[in-house]
Amino acid sequence: MLRLTVRRRRRLLPYLFLGPGLLWLVIFFLVPLLNQLNVSLESGNPETGYAFSWHFATYSDAISAYHTQFTRSLLFAGAATVIDLVIAFPLAYFIAFKAGRMKNLMLLLIILPFFTSYLVRTVAWQLILSDNGFVVSRLRDVGLVASDGRLLATSTAVIAGIAYNFMPFMALPLYVSLEKIDPRMIEAATDLYASRSTAFRKVTLPLALPGIFAGSLLTFIPAVGDYINALLLGTPNQYMIGNVIQAKFLNILDYPTAAALSFMLMGIILIGIALYARVLGTRSLTEAAAA
Amino acid sequence: MPPEDLDRLVERMVDGSEQSRRQFIRHLAGAGLLVGPGSAFLAACGGVKGESSGKKVSAAVHHPKVPIGDWTFSNWPLYIDKSVLKTFNKRYGGNVKYLEDINDNFEFFGKVRQQLQAHQSIGRDIVTLTDYMAARWVRDGFVTAIDHANVPNMKNLVPELQHPKYDPNRNYSLPWQSGGVGLGYDRRKTGRELTSVKDFFDPKFKGRVSFLSEPYDSAGMVMLGDGINATNATLDQIMAAIDKIEKAQKSGQIRRFTGNDYTTDLTKGNLWVAMAYSGDVVALQADNPHLEFAFPEEGSMEFTDNMMIPAKAAHPYAAETMMNYVYEPAVAAKIAAYVNYIPPVQGVKEILAAKDPKLAANPLIFPPDAVRKRLHAYPTLSPADERAMEARMAQVVGG
Repeated sequence: MLRLTVRRRRRLLPYLFLGPGLLWLVIFFLVPLLNQLNVSLESGNPETGYAFSWHFATYSDAISAYHTQFTRSLLFAGAATVIDLVIAFPLAYFIAFKAGRMKNLMLLLIILPFFTSYLVRTVAWQLILSDNGFVVSRLRDVGLVASDGRLLATSTAVIAGIAYNFMPFMALPLYVSLEKIDPRMIEAATDLYASRSTAFRKVTLPLALPGIFAGSLLTFIPAVGDYINALLLGTPNQYMIGNVIQAKFLNILDYPTAAALSFMLMGIILIGIALYARVLGTRSLTEAAAA
Repeated sequence: MPPEDLDRLVERMVDGSEQSRRQFIRHLAGAGLLVGPGSAFLAACGGVKGESSGKKVSAAVHHPKVPIGDWTFSNWPLYIDKSVLKTFNKRYGGNVKYLEDINDNFEFFGKVRQQLQAHQSIGRDIVTLTDYMAARWVRDGFVTAIDHANVPNMKNLVPELQHPKYDPNRNYSLPWQSGGVGLGYDRRKTGRELTSVKDFFDPKFKGRVSFLSEPYDSAGMVMLGDGINATNATLDQIMAAIDKIEKAQKSGQIRRFTGNDYTTDLTKGNLWVAMAYSGDVVALQADNPHLEFAFPEEGSMEFTDNMMIPAKAAHPYAAETMMNYVYEPAVAAKIAAYVNYIPPVQGVKEILAAKDPKLAANPLIFPPDAVRKRLHAYPTLSPADERAMEARMAQVVGG
């Protein structure tokens, strides 16, 4: 007879609830991850196939061949994240505190571009920024772009594309954390003779920190691995690590290098997050998750 | 090589415009990217470690006549007038499942590699692959020999394609279409006619030039420009050509490396000079009449896409019947009129001349002898050399 005491049952219950989620993670995350690790240590060539061989050199070779793209990915994604923060913070602040009845409409407007495919949106930018397009012609007229210059196929276009595409990931968490702030706290601060800017610095900003944290992670992480923007709006001089991984997997069929690069990218991101969490404090991490 | 953006696909979705087949080639590869890394990864996960035997299939084969039944033909997008398929079904019975699922030679190989290496059927009875990939399949025994008795029309194959190095007697492969690589350019932008490979490197066109990402094409063209016979090129010569391409890339001369996706940038004016495939430009002229295509005076690389019966194919007789059918000059003429590439079948020009003299006079579909003489087949490289070349080019293309 299987009779569990109430205490034991209590102890097992959480795991039971966790079961489906854990199973999901094991099947769709852990197993592929281990498999990828396995693939990254294979050697061979696409014609005769790959075999497992503890081939660690793939990692060092990949780093020495593609460190430029790694650095570039971090730079581009970082720049896009900062741009998004600068644009999205006032936007989210406005929606949270000043939009009144327009709040829902404005939130909808932020999400609206997401109703079309990511790819289509990026291709649209390709058309907008094209060398003979309206935008570039006007910018040439006012001298912001040299007369033989261009926007398409430059780093500017790629960073702007990433910033544009990931903007809602920054704006929405920011909105959530700003919206939760009780305006009476800011009032209290001003009652206690804090200037508006001090109140912002000492009250609003710290309370918005979880949103900043979540928003920048949600923007930065997918942006580092992005390759669509570099592919459509850049040239090989703008290619990011995602482009390399994609080409290695699909066109060159060099699975070990692709897997090794993916692994290193994941490692770099994890280390980055750990450092970031340390700086901003793990409390905000959990709060961000809750948000 | 970076496949390819989807703009053309998007455009087609938007305005439903008709386009030629090569324009689509790598766009779908682009679409594949979205799910691609995942699926390629899953493919890689299978972890087939089978070494290919490299054994050749026996050339003397006999495929008995059987009812055609349901069979499968894989080809590049927009590479056939589909009425040809309907007529085939009507005449021979059965039903052909026609898949336009080859968008890139290497990507397609990646998709079916595991079955081939495990000696399993890939569920297709004809695949159409470009010379270098066809050579790989023949060399690795991934093909079923063609029963020549079932393809009497093979006699219509143009002489210059009868004896490729990788399959000297056409035991395993039969050309589908050929085409040339050359200068696709916008006459208004360049302000002059382009005639030479050197024009790709003209500093006046800095940042407005695209190269093909396939080294067989781009390195081949650069070598021809430098007076090297690309068909007999050594690996060192190829590497030197890729170095030259890299220099032009780093200096900003080359804006992009493309599959077929130079087409949008070229019609939109973002590119002035594209290393282009002949058939594409014929089709693009409908969108932009200022576009021109020129076979450079130093010569052009010529590619041929070849029909092959994959190993363990279930319906070789159906495949051979189709091969025979498309080698009837009247049928070949129909296909040529639709795809704008160079037909490998003799007698097509005469038929077209009667029906559509303008088409028959098109030098891109029927290059004059002077041009034909300057068309160069791809070099035949050892597998190791080929890998070295592809890897080096991938570095350049990858930034």
